[in-house]
Amino acid sequence: MHHVDVLVIGGGVVGCAILRELSRYQASIALVECNPDIGEGTSKANSAIIHTGFDAPPGSLEARLLAEARVLWPSIIKDLHIPHLPTGALMLALTPEDLLTIENEILPRAALNGVALQRLAREEILESAPYVNPEVLGGVFVEGEGVIDPFWTTRAYCENALCNGASIFTGEKVREVCVEEQRVMVQTDVGRAFAASLVVNAAGLWSDEIARLAGDVSFTIRPRKGQFVIVKRNDGVGQIILPVPSKVSKGILVTPTVFGGVLLGPTAEDVDEKTDLATTAEGLRMIREGVQRYVPGMARAESIRQFAGLRAVGSENDYIIRPSTAGRRLLHVAGIRSTGLSASPALGRYVSRLVRDELGLSRRGDFQPELPAAPANAWQDAGEVVCLCHSITRGEVLAALHNPLPPGSLDGLKRRTGAMSGECQGNLCLPRILDLFRQELGYDPLVLPKHLPQSAPVTARLVDIAAQEG
Amino acid sequence: MDKPYTLAIVGAGISALSALRAGLSSERTILLDYQENPGGFLRPALPAPGFEDYATLIQTSRLPGQLTACFNATAVGLAPAIDDGEPHTLLVRHRSGVERIRAYRLLLACGGLELTREQAQIPGSRPAGIMTPALAHQLLNRGYAPGQRIVVYGSSRYTLATARRLARAGLFVTLVHSPGLPDASILIDPSPSLNILPPAQLVSLAGFPRLERLTFSRTPGESFSLLADTLVYGTEMRANTGWLKSSGLALSEQGAIKVDQHYLTSVPGIYAIGTLVSPSLDHTDSLRMGREFAALFSEGSL
Repeated sequence: MHHVDVLVIGGGVVGCAILRELSRYQASIALVECNPDIGEGTSKANSAIIHTGFDAPPGSLEARLLAEARVLWPSIIKDLHIPHLPTGALMLALTPEDLLTIENEILPRAALNGVALQRLAREEILESAPYVNPEVLGGVFVEGEGVIDPFWTTRAYCENALCNGASIFTGEKVREVCVEEQRVMVQTDVGRAFAASLVVNAAGLWSDEIARLAGDVSFTIRPRKGQFVIVKRNDGVGQIILPVPSKVSKGILVTPTVFGGVLLGPTAEDVDEKTDLATTAEGLRMIREGVQRYVPGMARAESIRQFAGLRAVGSENDYIIRPSTAGRRLLHVAGIRSTGLSASPALGRYVSRLVRDELGLSRRGDFQPELPAAPANAWQDAGEVVCLCHSITRGEVLAALHNPLPPGSLDGLKRRTGAMSGECQGNLCLPRILDLFRQELGYDPLVLPKHLPQSAPVTARLVDIAAQEG
Repeated sequence: MDKPYTLAIVGAGISALSALRAGLSSERTILLDYQENPGGFLRPALPAPGFEDYATLIQTSRLPGQLTACFNATAVGLAPAIDDGEPHTLLVRHRSGVERIRAYRLLLACGGLELTREQAQIPGSRPAGIMTPALAHQLLNRGYAPGQRIVVYGSSRYTLATARRLARAGLFVTLVHSPGLPDASILIDPSPSLNILPPAQLVSLAGFPRLERLTFSRTPGESFSLLADTLVYGTEMRANTGWLKSSGLALSEQGAIKVDQHYLTSVPGIYAIGTLVSPSLDHTDSLRMGREFAALFSEGSL
């Protein structure tokens, strides 16, 4: 039995941000994640935008936390050395109706949210972003928008919490949650039992199912799929290009990335299954058509990868951050939709203060907000190239494997180093990476997952197959 | 700084070995390759029917004595000479760090990368069990089965060799021809353990976390599915020119290096041969270009 003060369920960007903020307090804290590595859900498959919330519903908790996060991001980016591009965003009007929507809806709403937008004339847009559709009529510039490395952010929150004494248990799925008066009992599928004074339910798409384990049916989560196309070409795309939104969707964006390429998407499709991460021919066509209207040159750019993510849409019209109906000691942090990355600094602070008040926690004096400067690691410059497409070296892979929070999957290593994410998609370097996982961490290639459990890249040893046949 | 080389060869695959075999030599020559051994990405496929010429080349190739050969050494950048008569500079990363290697003439022969399912934009999930032939061969070489029920998709002799080798390892293999004319060698001597299906277009895949099903189509509106835990996607090659993006060398729309009839690129003193110039899963063009380049070089017509 593990006795902890606080147990966070879910190692996405929200759970990890909360874990980091909780590690400021004198408390024993732990996080449990069902996948072999953190950041395996919504946090790995999104547009990587740090959003100002200029278009959030005014007065909502979401709008409030997005506003608070705007203030918190600069120090988080600095302390955790997060790759970040302060690109700003351009919302483009292609029709007179678009111009009206900007005047009548976008500008007033942004003002209510405390975000100043700058009106731009056609000529100004074409001067600062010559790659956009020359038929643009006008638009607005949102200065505070930017892009970030979402994998780095999630990992760095968690790693920083571990450095400050938190514990993490990956590859363990929560099977039972029993809320009592002063504590919550939690059982995982490997038989581990936790007795926690308080449990934070940050299980993203599955947060409603965690609630149900405790007998709480007060909300549901529906998956909304967003498909994306990654292109390596950049064509000078230097700002986030936003369409004027429609009633149902913000539309298809063109977004620079900190990795050098450009992201096209997302779609917004309500789907039935929380595991439906498939891209579709229809989705890809919609993305290309959407991009064609705003950045025609990008519409035909060759893709090196496509992916889909699922946003966790809650049954209440705002973030669901409140105690469970099963008892005060289970705290839901659910329905975070697509703004979890953007709001994560404020979500972490807000939730940790709720926990502090509930448990009467006090601050510790020795909290270290900074991670050690990442690239100064002596491994970094050592070794030959492993990932040919991105010139990632053996030293960089070793540094990730010997990190305080080592990857628990091949995709986890990809998210930490960029290896296997280029044109060849790991087909050349994966064998070398299997060798390094085995040498350094003792992983058998038969059990090292690609992402989820049971996703090893190899299925058997050839000698065993020969023995069966012989 | 060290004295510049007279010739630097980037890549020790088929085209470079073919050129060296045909007598390509220069006073001070350096040969660089990402891998630990010469032979290129096709080497793990050997021996295989249809590749006898390549196997012979590998078996009998001896690197010339005056040649400096560096393996596990990857060219990651190229800065062409600014003035005539000056050497070009290669940025090379090897075990102990980054080095600048200067050479008056460069022969780029660093081959290609296989087109992936992602670049082909085949819709569906992203499960374990999707790979190219190069990965399948490397896993086999390490003693592992990439899967149990494998579909190999493509029409080259390389794809066929891959399917045969997987079947020989005791795995259940179906070869589905990609649309277009299959390589002639595919039509002869099908291994009895190999199911071969006529050309069909791969339209989608499904399954998670491991691949479960592939859907193909032959005519619009009609489709059929195959159960498989592994897809070996081997339809095309692309030139390995990602590292040359900022070098100023002229590239085609598809990323291949543009050369003239003497294999000269858009920059004087820099030549390119093989898959880099003419992306193909077949190796015969690379063998030929290596020989032709060596002949031009020794004639002094470059």
